[in-house]
Amino acid sequence: MTEELPPLGRLRSTVQRSILAPSGQAVARALAPIDRALQPAANGFNRLLGSYVGEVTGLQLGLLVASLLALVAAPAWAPLLAGNYMRTLTLACIWAIFAMGWDVQSGYTGYISFGHSALSAAAGYATALLVVRVSPELGFAVTIPLSILAALAFGLLIGLPSLRLSGPYFSLVTFVAVLLFYRLTIGFSETLGGENGFQAVEVFTWDFTMRYYYMLVPMLGVAAALTVVARSNVGMVLVAIRENESAVSAAGLDPTKFKLWSFALSSITMGIGGVLLAHFGGTVDPSTFVVVDRSIEMIAMAVVGGMSSVLGPIGGAFLFVLLRDEVLRLWFGHSTRWIVLWVLVLLVLVFARDGLFRWGWHALGSVGGDRE
Amino acid sequence: MLESILSILITGAMISALYALIAIGFTMIFGVGGVLNLAHGALIMAGAYVFMALNREIVASSIALPQVVVFPLAVAIVAGLSYGLYVGLVRYVEDNPVITFLATVVLATAVTEIAIGIFGDQPYSYTVISGNVEVAGTAVSSNDLAGFVLSWIAIGLLWYYVTETDGGRSILAASMSERGARLTGVDLRAVQTRTWLIAGALAGVAGIFLGGGQAATPLMWLNPLALAFIIVVIGGIGSIKGSIVAAYLIGYTETLTVTTLGQGFRGILSLLILLVVLFLLPQGLYGREFVHD
Repeated sequence: MTEELPPLGRLRSTVQRSILAPSGQAVARALAPIDRALQPAANGFNRLLGSYVGEVTGLQLGLLVASLLALVAAPAWAPLLAGNYMRTLTLACIWAIFAMGWDVQSGYTGYISFGHSALSAAAGYATALLVVRVSPELGFAVTIPLSILAALAFGLLIGLPSLRLSGPYFSLVTFVAVLLFYRLTIGFSETLGGENGFQAVEVFTWDFTMRYYYMLVPMLGVAAALTVVARSNVGMVLVAIRENESAVSAAGLDPTKFKLWSFALSSITMGIGGVLLAHFGGTVDPSTFVVVDRSIEMIAMAVVGGMSSVLGPIGGAFLFVLLRDEVLRLWFGHSTRWIVLWVLVLLVLVFARDGLFRWGWHALGSVGGDRE
Repeated sequence: MLESILSILITGAMISALYALIAIGFTMIFGVGGVLNLAHGALIMAGAYVFMALNREIVASSIALPQVVVFPLAVAIVAGLSYGLYVGLVRYVEDNPVITFLATVVLATAVTEIAIGIFGDQPYSYTVISGNVEVAGTAVSSNDLAGFVLSWIAIGLLWYYVTETDGGRSILAASMSERGARLTGVDLRAVQTRTWLIAGALAGVAGIFLGGGQAATPLMWLNPLALAFIIVVIGGIGSIKGSIVAAYLIGYTETLTVTTLGQGFRGILSLLILLVVLFLLPQGLYGREFVHD
């Protein structure tokens, strides 16, 4: 398509050569000693877990441990900041699950779904319906697994027909699935609660600290599980489907089967997130769960962080939610923050297609040069 | 009974005409560039807001511009915005369909927020032409009737342009085979420009009449976009003829649903038709397979 380099491309390469590359080298020189100091720990990590979650360098391990500590210790530092950071971080954990759920299907296989909010909505609405229509006495041990199963069932219901299609057709159908879900909640408002949804879902707890851990622990669990899957042969097949689907079938593997697996995995993840979101605020309604904006937001998070990785969507979700709920709200007020946020997302899409966090992760990994 | 059938026929034709305009623009851009422009709905919304702003906000009532001037001006502005969208954003990302998807949908979301920022989140109602006309015993608002007439004029002009002139035929050629068009000396950049301008103008016309019939709201891009999706998939992505046929199919389905089942079910039946079509004819009525190269 591109016969000549557009002016923007020239500008980009000039910036790359004269500003980014030299400053990057300076940072790399400064970080190299830290990398060497952490390398023994990284070697130990690689021996122990490398074959499951991938190899890391010293700096990468340092970053992982540091961010993990920061997340676990959030109740200690978050109240020091102005604003309601505990609530925001809690929400960010849920959205990180959504972003990972979208990414494990769309990011890896390249089948871009606009319908993932419908999957989390299936779980949320299942919880609400069980509590409101069946019995309020059911308890988490019953409603949570059932709701996740509902998300899985709904995911297969969307996935089985739509995965026959490819490219834009697939995206259009998933988009339509969200609209259909939304229309159904309005059309059958007596059963599905209509515009106002349900308010009767029990929340885990109103205690900010405890609630945070209720969301953080599942998020880390999902992240670990998805990392193992992504590093396994299944993850490689999924990426291969994105790159060249006919090559995958030529190699004797059935792409449809793998696409369904990724959709199922994604549905379960979305189900977990949906259940958590339902018990976060106690309300299940179309504007929190169903509307297309929610799907677009999770896509934006995954893309800003970096598609087809696990750390990317998590980082993207935290960045997105923190910017949206705290930083930009503080600077720009209620409505303008959205414009600024979407423009920022657009800039990342055009100038840093691979995502900020994935890029940062690989930049860190390249400090200190090749080993062996 | 006969009267209600007649009234469904007439009301359905009015709304279907606008749907056809929306879907044709959307499908032309896909046909020529392989770009699914999810910001197409934003252009429709721009049509309504630009017209409304020119009509009542900027120009004081004492020196109100006549409708005859405002209408083409608004359409031209939306066509310009559409071209700006192509030059300013899509051209940099069109080599990657996934990024194009995301960039245009993010842009549409941003435009919603801009509309909220400027005009507030309340619906703005305005009229293109006020009053009602009686057509075969059914009261039709002049706005809808004008939309219907203009839609057919626009489709007729487009048809003439695409089949009878060199400029239009090069659009058709580029949509059939980009490589073939280039080999026969078609300037693809110029074809793209014309396509985006035409699609923008059609979206502008549709937006003005949609807003005039209902009201201009910041979220009014979503439903037309969804309709364009449904219509284009049923008609076959890239096919103008398919879009017109499917637009009328969906328009009548919606009118029928609303009159028999009620407003709450608007759209549900169309979505079900879409699913059925996808199962039986994955490429739509007049479509071709999606190949991206």
